[in-house]
Amino acid sequence: MSTGIVTTDLRKTFPVRRWQGWRRRPAAAPVPAVDGLSLRIPPGQVTGLLGLNGAGKTTTIRILSTLLRPSGGTVSVDGLDVVEHAREVRRRINVISGGERMVYDRLTARENLWYFGQLYDVPRARLRVRIGELLDLVGLTEAARLPVERYSRGMRQRLVIARGLINDPAYLLLDEPTLGLDAPIAHQLRALIAQLAADGVGVLLTSHYLAEVEQLCRHVYLIARGSLVAQGSPAQLAGQTVRRHTVRLVLAEADPSVTAALRALAVRHDAELTVDVDDEGRPRFALRHPEDLVGAVVTAVVQQGGAVAGLTVTPPTLEDAILALADPAAVAR
Amino acid sequence: MSVMGATFVRNWRITVRAYPWTYFVGTLATGVLTIGVSMLAYRAIGGGRVGASFTAATGSADYLGYVTIGAAALTFTTRMVLWVAKAQITEYREGTLESQLLTPARRLPYLLGVTAQALSTTAVEITVLVAVAGVLGVRLSVPEPLTLLAATVAATVAVVGMSVPLSALMLAAGEAHITQNTLFTAMALLCGFTFPTSYLPQAARWLGEALPVTWALRVLRAATLPGADVDPWPAFAVCLLLGGAYLLVGLSILKPAERRALHRSARA
Repeated sequence: MSTGIVTTDLRKTFPVRRWQGWRRRPAAAPVPAVDGLSLRIPPGQVTGLLGLNGAGKTTTIRILSTLLRPSGGTVSVDGLDVVEHAREVRRRINVISGGERMVYDRLTARENLWYFGQLYDVPRARLRVRIGELLDLVGLTEAARLPVERYSRGMRQRLVIARGLINDPAYLLLDEPTLGLDAPIAHQLRALIAQLAADGVGVLLTSHYLAEVEQLCRHVYLIARGSLVAQGSPAQLAGQTVRRHTVRLVLAEADPSVTAALRALAVRHDAELTVDVDDEGRPRFALRHPEDLVGAVVTAVVQQGGAVAGLTVTPPTLEDAILALADPAAVAR
Repeated sequence: MSVMGATFVRNWRITVRAYPWTYFVGTLATGVLTIGVSMLAYRAIGGGRVGASFTAATGSADYLGYVTIGAAALTFTTRMVLWVAKAQITEYREGTLESQLLTPARRLPYLLGVTAQALSTTAVEITVLVAVAGVLGVRLSVPEPLTLLAATVAATVAVVGMSVPLSALMLAAGEAHITQNTLFTAMALLCGFTFPTSYLPQAARWLGEALPVTWALRVLRAATLPGADVDPWPAFAVCLLLGGAYLLVGLSILKPAERRALHRSARA
């Protein structure tokens, strides 16, 4: 029965050893990479796992995929414990990592897929068809007989994607899967991920491309220093922080009365104002506030007889929310 | 096709594409040099005769045949160990260990696939080495086929048995050269490749007895040395037992070693 991937109070610490005299001894406090994480990755949807670098995303994926053993807590895949039933779990999952090699350079794409198909015990007739489908899917049919060492980085990553699908996994763990891919292929991969989820595959996605997460994920877990700090839909997550619109204004020429009016406006609304000059030496203002103050800004400039050379408004994004939730100190700075 | 068969095919393809002829020459050079230097010493220093102690220890006065078989066996052992023991650390270094370990495939069939391919490549190397020895003037007696087959089986079990724990050590330590070269030096000294083990001090002799390769070599000597009236089967049985024990120990420590390697790369 497909019950999804469930982690309960998952923990992973890496012992740190230091030389003391002639011996390496464990350091007093081991480093927690994952600290009490409880997640659910249901079948048939894309779940996001977000966090800044070093938050514990890749370690979590390695535990879910049986590569690392948890130091504490439990992980089950369709009710099977990943430590006790590792081999059975491996039949149901696969991992696609961006920027990692994972394929054999001296074999061709077809030979790589054939070999991994054998390791997954895919029946011979099915494997032949599957290899053709996957090569077609990732656009490597014409290059299928070239050794991988002659591939570009993007072609290699496409082969890594095909390798990750060779066993028709019930759960797919994607760690930055579009890293290094050209826009059309990345777009195609996103469509594929959505299609896989629609077909019932449970997908866990980590990505630095937040538009990708907003487009694909129904539910997102946000982690920092190995712990869960927030969860919800991308929209709910963005709503959990004080969101700020940024109004950027460039004046045609310097005008002290306009500058004074904008400073007064910022004080009145308790907004954050920064003032500098652009490349052409024109005064440039950035006003950040939870509300969109563009109307008030334009009114203040016009009332003081100023001339606007440029005006943009940036609405709050998921990225703002992640930064605010995962590292509030950095945002405050 | 099984994991073993698939790994055999994979390694064969990689070897055909990546094995330079210069490497082949380098592999042969060590064996040829061993035979050549022994031949010079035998003719120029020993006057073409061996001492009574050699004949007593080996049951034969054919020193050049003894050295040639020993050099071939040493080439076989080092080449097989290099292939089998280094298989997983090579995967680790080339970034494919994780994609291997993600699959449900078991380690033993994988290692046997590597072994099967290594046997086919090493057989070619040994054949050329023995042919070169023939050109240099070494004349080998025709081996007894059944005993030669037993020697080949024994040697394969011995090197695979030793390679698996060695593979685990390499993965755990994250390095190959120090580990492999320490083993090669120890084997060359202790196992009786180029001189009888009875020449060794007692303590060293006991160390040699603990290595299955020493016993495999005794079966090989029984098959190839004229006049060496030795029963090969006790040595064959000991070799299988020792090789099997090494293999079991190796398989039991291989998974912890893999986890240690994955920890290391996760922390990197």
